[in-house]
Amino acid sequence: MLLRFPESHVAAVRSMAASGTSSVSDRERVSHVVRRLGVGANALSVSEAATIDDAIASMLDLRTPPAPMPGFEPPTDIESARTQQDIQIPLSHWLEQMVLSPRPIEERLVWFWHDHFATSTRKVRFPYLFWQQHATVRQHGIGRFDELLGAIAKDPAMLDYLDGRTNQATAINENFAREVMELHTMGVGGYSQDDVVAAARAFSGWVVAPGGDDRRRLPDAEPWSAVFVPVRHDTGQKTLLGVTGNLDMDDAIEIILDQPATATTVAAKLHEEIIGLSPTAVTRQRLGAIFRADWQIMTLIEEIVADPIFVSDAAVRSRVRNPVERLVGIVQGIETHPQVGRTSMAILNRVGFVPFSPPNPAGFAGGARLLGPYQLAHSLDVAGIVADPAPDYPVDEIFARLGLFDVSEQTRDVVAAPPDPLSRITLAAASPEYALT
Amino acid sequence: MTMPPECPTVSRRQFLAGLGATAAVSVAGYSVGIWGRNPAHAATPIGDLGPGADRTLVLIEMGGGNDALSMVVPHGTARYFDLRGNLAVSDATDLDGSIGLHPNLSYTAERWKQNDLAVVEGIGYPDPDLSHFSSMATWWTGVPGGLGAGWLGRYLDATVGAEDPLAGIVVGPGPSPALSGEESFVVSIQDDTGLRPSVPEWVDEPDELTAMWAGFANSPVDSPGLFGQVTSAIEQTVVAADHLSAVLTPSEDAPAPQAQGRGARTLATDMALAAQLVISDIRPRVVLVHGFGDFDTHEGQASRHADLMTELDDGIRAFFEIVEAAGASDRVVVATTSEFGRRAASNGSGTDHGTAGAHLVIGDRVQGGRYGESPDLSSLDNAGNLIHTVDYRSYYASILDEWLEVGHQDILDGSFETLGMIGAGHVAPIGATWKRFGVR
Repeated sequence: MLLRFPESHVAAVRSMAASGTSSVSDRERVSHVVRRLGVGANALSVSEAATIDDAIASMLDLRTPPAPMPGFEPPTDIESARTQQDIQIPLSHWLEQMVLSPRPIEERLVWFWHDHFATSTRKVRFPYLFWQQHATVRQHGIGRFDELLGAIAKDPAMLDYLDGRTNQATAINENFAREVMELHTMGVGGYSQDDVVAAARAFSGWVVAPGGDDRRRLPDAEPWSAVFVPVRHDTGQKTLLGVTGNLDMDDAIEIILDQPATATTVAAKLHEEIIGLSPTAVTRQRLGAIFRADWQIMTLIEEIVADPIFVSDAAVRSRVRNPVERLVGIVQGIETHPQVGRTSMAILNRVGFVPFSPPNPAGFAGGARLLGPYQLAHSLDVAGIVADPAPDYPVDEIFARLGLFDVSEQTRDVVAAPPDPLSRITLAAASPEYALT
Repeated sequence: MTMPPECPTVSRRQFLAGLGATAAVSVAGYSVGIWGRNPAHAATPIGDLGPGADRTLVLIEMGGGNDALSMVVPHGTARYFDLRGNLAVSDATDLDGSIGLHPNLSYTAERWKQNDLAVVEGIGYPDPDLSHFSSMATWWTGVPGGLGAGWLGRYLDATVGAEDPLAGIVVGPGPSPALSGEESFVVSIQDDTGLRPSVPEWVDEPDELTAMWAGFANSPVDSPGLFGQVTSAIEQTVVAADHLSAVLTPSEDAPAPQAQGRGARTLATDMALAAQLVISDIRPRVVLVHGFGDFDTHEGQASRHADLMTELDDGIRAFFEIVEAAGASDRVVVATTSEFGRRAASNGSGTDHGTAGAHLVIGDRVQGGRYGESPDLSSLDNAGNLIHTVDYRSYYASILDEWLEVGHQDILDGSFETLGMIGAGHVAPIGATWKRFGVR
């Protein structure tokens, strides 16, 4: 992608041993800001930012309008709705946005919320539902958390994944009720089993309107939308987290949002996503209070980013780079093979990291669980996405294109050793420096 | 692979020949050659292998919470049919008049007849909170509400430590917290390509690429923090890959990766891989198979759980067919785990999260029969859940004491009753010439 690369940018790559210090260089710190606030490495953005403040401003800049979502006609019958190939429609759009979007923070947040409100093709067999959900996450991902949560509770993919669509007065299903409190909001421990049952009863009655031939069952509903069917709703008194009444879904969501643990838990998770370190108890409370005031996600992000610890040495390379981040960073910086899309999917599939296909409702594994021998050995698979013949970049330019500036002498030697460009690029992308972000 | 125009005189082979010492890594007493090239390399002999070294535990993790009441069916209890309604399994294979196995567990039922199947009922842990994730942590660590090292990681620390890179193997894409220890390390693989990267056909020397990658492992100084963790994980990967490539033969027509989910993997393919490892010279002490199925059957349970039981049975059968053909079936025990059992009553189309579960332990050395105690279906807790009768640490303690031959007290931080489900007496060792990694 980046066919020309600024000389000065390449010159900034330094061997850490040679510089005689382990502290973080200015360019590496700018690259850190860019990696954490977008998806991938966005090497061009790193090269364009003169200072850390410039980098932060450009990554948070949302003035360019978002790219329109691709068209996806609602499937007319169940058979065609299950065409698994169709998942490529939202998936390709999404991966392209991760690589190219001029609204980097939006991509970071879309990824984060997709993982936070995980649903998976391993269970939900209708690609159209993921397209709908992706649009919802894009719509609210940089907006308000209360609105995002409310929309997700009524999202058809979520209603299918966590069984809300089967949850009815005569057959209460606890799945979504438990996970919304445990995983999406308060965290385990702040509610009882009675609260799970009360929430499930409040949530009862929502279904996904069928498409095609089955439409006669809900003739007025838009196919594949979430619909409230009053006869399926439990209208009895419920007591959820101390509040009693004939509660419905909106009431239950409001009660859950009112729990202080909701704001602190979600804000702390975002803090870890951006900074890579757990917040202190004081920071947790402070962020929670700010978040709860109006649920504005960007206000919270600005608060997190303003914390000096964000650009501190401790934060740089304090997270394990996940397979999507690895891949996107390479595609952003390195000239790619025409089959990059197909090969990327194969690479992500091999390590169990395909977007829309997390392994369970808690989303993808992170941290040390991404450093298993299988995942590390397969970090070399990225050879398949590099253009053939591989571009013959000088070694320092390879590093700069991957957003790596502080590189150990050993890494530099290993990458510089092979005589062919493909090996050099592949090794840089499989280096210990690139394994972290 | 295309040669850069500016260095036409250096061929890749010449280059690699000149790479010399940097391509070989010396780690923890092993001399490691270039990947995939050196199956009969010299390795440091492992001295006293200690108890349990000639046996393997194969653990099948049924993630999502297996509905034990549909696997080990209390069909002699009328209350079961009241609670389960249309979800009750009415055609279970009877074991003893009071319980039966799911009808799709046909091979497993055969093993019952051969006295090779222990059925352990009522397994749970105190104060269950019905959460997948805290229950999984409880099972992984062997400590209720636990954080930190896995119970099998502690077992490996106490026995092989850092000495044996392939003592614990996960079949699945990533490491399992159950096997993570302080010193020992855990390999994860998904298929018989082992730890070979999948590079495109235009990379004509993939082994050489990986040999160069091994250079990252050869860290001159111990790097601190996360960076050090990565370089040491690369180091371990290189060691493990070398040993694995000597024993795994990739099939010619490997299935193409699918777009989503587990692709072509099934429990049968995973268990066949586990069997291949067990009968190889690697002799792992523990193989943990994870990522099998979605047992979280809140909905559509009747068909989903039946399919999972078929897959479970096929997996167990595939495993034993291979180890029996190799004459190794007396060195293995297969056992199941799951974070919880499910709610006693049906929710209409499925079952919600529950507490106690039943588990299966299979092998030639197993003393077939029933262990533990069936939970009383007429005496449930306030949430309508089974009250456990066997602490899950008793289940672990039995595996540790009776099969792996280590005192469970050191591993589980406490003393628990053992069940006597695996035959006493030491398995005849494979002889003093027991080999590992080609060492004679």
